[in-house]
Amino acid sequence: MLEVKDLSVAYGGLRALTGVTLSVAEGRFVTIVGSNGAGKSTLFKTISGVVPPVSGTITFRNENLLSHRASDRAHLGIAHVPEGRQVFKTLTVRENLEMGAYPKTGRTQWTQTLERIHTLFPILSERADQLAGTLSGGEQQMLAIGRGLACAPRLLMLDEPSMGLAPSVADMIFERISQIHREDGLTILLVEQRVAEALERSDHGYVLETGHIVLEGPYETLLADDRVRRSYLGLTEA
Amino acid sequence: MLESRRSVTNESRPRRHLSRAGEREARASSVDLEILVENVLNAVTAGITIGCIYGLMCIGLGLIFGIMRIVNFAQGELLMLGMFASFYLVTGGKVLSFLGPYWGPFIGAICAAPLVFAGGALLHKFLISRVSGLRTAGSLDEGHFGQLIVTLGISLILQNGGQIVFGSTPVAVRTPLSSEAFLVGPVYGGATVFLNKAKLIAFFVAILVAIVLYLTLEYTRLGKALRAAADNPTAATYMGIEVDTAYRIAFGLGAGITAVAGGLMATYISFGPFVGFDYVIIMYSGVVLGGMGSILGAFWGGLTVGFVQQFSALILPPQLQNAAIFVVFLMIVLLRPQGLFGRSAERA
Amino acid sequence: MRQGAGPLLRRNLIVLAILSVAYLVLTLFVTNSYYQLILTLVPVWALFGVSWNILSGYGGQLSFGHASFFGIGAYTVTLSVVYWGLSPWLGIVLGMILGGLAAIAIGMPTFRLRGHYFALSMLAYPLAILYVLQYLGFQEVSIPMHRQNPVAFMEFSEPRIYTLIAVCLLVVGVVISLVIENSRFGLALLAIRQNELAAEAAGINAREWKMRSLVVSGMMAAVAGGFYARVLVVVTPDSVFGMLVSAQAVVVTLFGGVASVWGPLIGAAILVPLAETLQAELGTYLPGIQGVVYGFAIIAIMLLSPDGLFWTIRDRWFRPKAAAPAPVPDLMPVSPPARRAIAQAGAPLLNVENLSRSFGGLKAVSEVSFSVAEGEILGIIGPNGAGKTTLFNVLNGVLSADEGSAQLAGQPMLGRKTFEVCRMGVGRTFQVVRSFPRLPVLDNVIVGAYGAGLSDRDAIASAARALHQVGLHEQSGVAAGQLTNKQLRLMELARALAGSPRLLLLDETLAGLGREECDSVLKVLARLREEGMTICIIEHTMHAMMRLADRFVVLDHGRVLATGLPRTVVEDTSVIEAYLGKKWLARQHA
Repeated sequence: MLEVKDLSVAYGGLRALTGVTLSVAEGRFVTIVGSNGAGKSTLFKTISGVVPPVSGTITFRNENLLSHRASDRAHLGIAHVPEGRQVFKTLTVRENLEMGAYPKTGRTQWTQTLERIHTLFPILSERADQLAGTLSGGEQQMLAIGRGLACAPRLLMLDEPSMGLAPSVADMIFERISQIHREDGLTILLVEQRVAEALERSDHGYVLETGHIVLEGPYETLLADDRVRRSYLGLTEA
Repeated sequence: MLESRRSVTNESRPRRHLSRAGEREARASSVDLEILVENVLNAVTAGITIGCIYGLMCIGLGLIFGIMRIVNFAQGELLMLGMFASFYLVTGGKVLSFLGPYWGPFIGAICAAPLVFAGGALLHKFLISRVSGLRTAGSLDEGHFGQLIVTLGISLILQNGGQIVFGSTPVAVRTPLSSEAFLVGPVYGGATVFLNKAKLIAFFVAILVAIVLYLTLEYTRLGKALRAAADNPTAATYMGIEVDTAYRIAFGLGAGITAVAGGLMATYISFGPFVGFDYVIIMYSGVVLGGMGSILGAFWGGLTVGFVQQFSALILPPQLQNAAIFVVFLMIVLLRPQGLFGRSAERA
Repeated sequence: MRQGAGPLLRRNLIVLAILSVAYLVLTLFVTNSYYQLILTLVPVWALFGVSWNILSGYGGQLSFGHASFFGIGAYTVTLSVVYWGLSPWLGIVLGMILGGLAAIAIGMPTFRLRGHYFALSMLAYPLAILYVLQYLGFQEVSIPMHRQNPVAFMEFSEPRIYTLIAVCLLVVGVVISLVIENSRFGLALLAIRQNELAAEAAGINAREWKMRSLVVSGMMAAVAGGFYARVLVVVTPDSVFGMLVSAQAVVVTLFGGVASVWGPLIGAAILVPLAETLQAELGTYLPGIQGVVYGFAIIAIMLLSPDGLFWTIRDRWFRPKAAAPAPVPDLMPVSPPARRAIAQAGAPLLNVENLSRSFGGLKAVSEVSFSVAEGEILGIIGPNGAGKTTLFNVLNGVLSADEGSAQLAGQPMLGRKTFEVCRMGVGRTFQVVRSFPRLPVLDNVIVGAYGAGLSDRDAIASAARALHQVGLHEQSGVAAGQLTNKQLRLMELARALAGSPRLLLLDETLAGLGREECDSVLKVLARLREEGMTICIIEHTMHAMMRLADRFVVLDHGRVLATGLPRTVVEDTSVIEAYLGKKWLARQHA
């Protein structure tokens, strides 16, 4: 469904990504892991259209994404759950979800979609009229994911959903993401720092280090590979 | 060498004069009290009516400055354009003269809105968008320096260009209502409250427009999209909202709303191309006092400032009233920059 | 004086002298009295622009209300002649003094504001004065003629003498501006304009410098206004306190070139004759044409060449010579500023106890305690959002602490302003490098030395030494905008070193560097440790930290998770869990 070929991106004067190639097949759950500064967020922002690449291609369902504006991606069926949640703090929970359903695909099936969101995250229905800025971190993350689901997307992209959350809350979030994948068969691309939680639920994983893909494969392969652990904790010798 | 023409915007309410010295001595205290009460009551009603019109004016700036955080130095000129648009529709160009002198001016004020909306959207498209929005979202001062300069330039062009196009003779939108008043009373002895008809109708129109705008922003899909785009342009882009367009519409709306307020004011004051200047500080005071990010707050802020102005007329002569507003502005900005009614949710 | 200022100053003064003489010669050829008046007004408005430039150009504090000072000068001269018979020669001086006092009175409350609030508030002052004057009845005041003693009252039948006086005043103003530009005053202002926070962290007391610039600016503007009143003979509140007057200063300087002494001159020379001529020719059909011209001028400049004509012309046609290093003086012995307590033997240099800081309900830093011995490199690590930068911000004085204490060599650190903490001996770098792209590396670094309070000579020596320490001495003359990322980070490090700190707080110095670049920076840091520097460094590049740091402190969700030797810490289960997750451990043990 999503094909990234040989992507190179410069961001803030730095070479953030070099020659990145990955693919997300329909119905699969793909994870990209890497430590801080590895380029994960830049990859996410490039697919979202916020950062333009220097070279390379991105195709989504055989459409060249780079020829579309950033605000078109949601209409094509790509939903974003950005880093740091980025909920609309001065809007209520319900209004946030309504904004998620801004594209037409979201509006046509709105009632069913909303019900599904409420089943997954009951707290969103309880706090429907509360200002999103007053929610806790975990609640905001749930709202951000709900907002992503609101447009009935074909691809759900999440950028570090566990960031800034307590481990138990992060675990719960990962549970839900898994559930969405299992029950709705939604294609998911997850970018994460927390390696184990992210990898164990996914079908396929990529390890990013200083802008390069250094390792890829199904999760058992990655978890067994000591390189992952070493690259995180800096035990690789120079 | 350098001169700018400034219009006279003083207005006076009828005040009762004290009676002859002899009688006065006999009934001194009760007459003084009556006069005081009458003046105060009239100040209160003037404060409310004019305050609500100021409130509408401030909503316009509130959309632009309070929500989108764009510093627009030319907001006073948008007000002026609204006044002149209404004038030409009703009196000068006689486009709406078929509506007669009672309905015409107020419909004219409302019709000024789409004209100034379009003008504001164009200004945004060609000039303001280059120094605001996503283009300057990450920079140190959020593009405010550029906004100040560009809008200063727009203000100069509109003021002086207005002088060329409209001439500098003060004009007004003539309606017989501006010299008629409802008399309420006598209240408390001989005190009578004068409710100027033009101002009263303007007051109702202002409230109506404010309510319509509020409902639009709060409950329609477009309104929510505008608020979302202003709240977090990046996230709004992710949702599929075209942020540039949203900002353009919001800017145009802010311009149009202020223009309506201008058109309403045109029914009871006379104005020239430099009138905007007197109101810029009032608008900023209102928006800041009401709290940034809140439309309701901007309205209450404008109302409060209007109130203060009308009350200051009880003790201060006209020229010093405006100076008093500046003092109020400085005090607000120094002592309570977060305003009274700002939304408590913090921005990302 | 700044490094290399001498010859630059001399060259500018020569240019100034030539221009002034040429201008005065020009006046000999102009006979039309209206144009002679314009020739007099150009330097007056240029002087006004120069005064505005000092506050708003160099200092970056955009003021929309400089008419306050202009008008005070004008009215002082006028009223003092009318009521006291005071000669305008003295009246101008009096106006200058009053302008300075007004600057202090205005600056004290208004400098608490920033950015657009500052600009709008500055707007309020001249307008308030204008309204008060109108109320007091000073609609129009004229300076009476003094036939008995014309020269004493600055009355000359020959209009060219006014031009001469105007040019003399302008020359004085430009010289003052040049002196400021080439001294630490100017550099401090530029630093504040570019990034007030980084300037404060380098030890610059922003409030003080801003006030000084406002006072100088106000005095100069008052002189311009005073002379203006004398030339025009008639003053009205609007003609000297009005909006267009304030706009004049802004437009002339922005158009010609902001933060350059030539900018206001260029702007005035182009715009004033243009506007005045248009007003004269077309004023009857198109009244207010000046305002329209000015409006278009600044919009065009803002969109096309935001820094003004001078810089665009200079950049395009007079490409500054690339990479010619300014002669860096030999390393002279530098006397360190005498203000630091010597740490008792055995006591840690930095001691942090129970530090806490919350934002709303979120505890960003929670009961953090650790200590750093002298000469040690402490690595502060932890997942994203753990509170590391917040910790630095509290130590540095950028944020206040809710609870806890911190001492540097026994002296309390908390509760001080940023520049005070810097002067105690703490150097700080930030995650995002802030430089002054047009200035050479040496100037970027010297800011740190000025901030520490060193004299001019010592500052240059200290900056040179810092550049040698980081290995940038060959690039000292290169404009900072042309540096690579690694060089920028080294330059920031040098700026922090130039203040001779005892403790360095480095925030993600290695971010975005490739392998080799990382290695060379690590070498620099290791060398600093050998020279006895104490360093606290926040970093994510773990492999680098493993080689560099003596000890680690691991933060997670604002709390200290573990401290100790690097090898020990990375084997610590709670640390692994924080970084890699609980399931990872479960899998390892499975």
